[in-house]
Amino acid sequence: MMIVSAAGSVLASSGFQVPSIDEFLPPEIMFQGTPFALNRIILIRLIATVVMLLVLGITAMRARLVPGRWQGAVEWIVEFIRDKIVYEVMGEVRGKRYVPMITTIFLSLLVFNICGIVPGMNIAASATIVVPLMWALWTFCQYWIAAVRGKGLKKYLKDELLPDGVPWPIYFILVPMQLLDIVVIRPFSLTIRLFANMIAGHILVALCFSATQFFLIDAENKLLMGFGAITFLGGFIMILFEAFVAAIQAFIFATLSTVYINLSYPEELE
Amino acid sequence: MQVLAVDGIKLFLPETYDVVWSAIILVIIAVFFYKFFLPKLQSVFDERTAKIEGGIAKADKAQQDAAEAKKKYEAQLNTARVEASKIRDDARAEASHIIADARSRAETDAAQIATNAQRSIASQQQQALVKLKGEVGTLATALAGKILGAKLEDDAVQSHMLDQMIDGMDSGDKK
Repeated sequence: MMIVSAAGSVLASSGFQVPSIDEFLPPEIMFQGTPFALNRIILIRLIATVVMLLVLGITAMRARLVPGRWQGAVEWIVEFIRDKIVYEVMGEVRGKRYVPMITTIFLSLLVFNICGIVPGMNIAASATIVVPLMWALWTFCQYWIAAVRGKGLKKYLKDELLPDGVPWPIYFILVPMQLLDIVVIRPFSLTIRLFANMIAGHILVALCFSATQFFLIDAENKLLMGFGAITFLGGFIMILFEAFVAAIQAFIFATLSTVYINLSYPEELE
Repeated sequence: MQVLAVDGIKLFLPETYDVVWSAIILVIIAVFFYKFFLPKLQSVFDERTAKIEGGIAKADKAQQDAAEAKKKYEAQLNTARVEASKIRDDARAEASHIIADARSRAETDAAQIATNAQRSIASQQQQALVKLKGEVGTLATALAGKILGAKLEDDAVQSHMLDQMIDGMDSGDKK
């Protein structure tokens, strides 16, 4: 990011607009100063939410016994989350309770992430720290609740911090490490992974297209137009890549949430 | 660079309004999925499963019913066949009975008719004989009277002669 900014300051005089992290800290545009202030990203998030709820709500209300193509696609996604993420990790008996949660996490993050490549939005609705953090905290709460319910808190802490079969001096390293893992690392790795992916993706795409803009239109030296073509192609490829990243990050977040919750239960199946 | 570092850290400092909106959105989306979307879709899945299973069960039952009906019809057909052959046998027996009856009655009738006819022939013959006898007597008497003349005016002689003649006729018949 520093290199990008440094390059930006060099090129700034010639009109090359470099994407910066300021785009992830947009100014408040409505209800300024109140707890309900809106900025561009939150507005995008609201619109994405409304669109998702409308589309899925109408799909569910019109759901037929014999599905059409769209309903079939939606059902496929829902069954994918249920069977390939939740049941695959924790089995049907244990997983049933968590299907709505994981569905919520996967579909909301998928839709939010996709906003990053929707023309006009151009930034992921999950591209502030709060969304990944809050979704991760939900997972965090769930796996602690599951620990209390599944193993009992004492047994859970013993299994995590003092696993059997480890020579006792190792515990001096293991206990703080494991404690850090279940208290901090799990939720924050979920958060940072998603957040960093969204930021990096946006900056890559934006950089490609602002370079294209600069080389093709703004630059006075027409010899640089070849670069513009390359950066445009790069931007196009990055958009496709971002679509892939949007889906894969939603998938990873949902799968890891399921795995963390499952770790709170005893290993043997009920 | 200094400014940039401060900006960078800002990325990780949540704004109050961002927290508020994210929480609201998360709750709305979660409630939507928990309370409406997934139950609704699940009910469609369940209904579909029930329908498919119901269809299969229905088809099985239909097949079973058909098999039962077939068995029943076959049994009925068998009974009917046996009954028909029994009826046929009965009819045949009765028919032969009737024929035998009719034959014996006809034979009796025929015998009676024949007897009656013989009797009537016999009586008619008798009558004819008696009548003939009388007429022949008269004729013969008249004839003899013409031949013999007065000789036959005596009744006793006449009768005697007549008897003799008939006897002669009889014996002549027998010859």
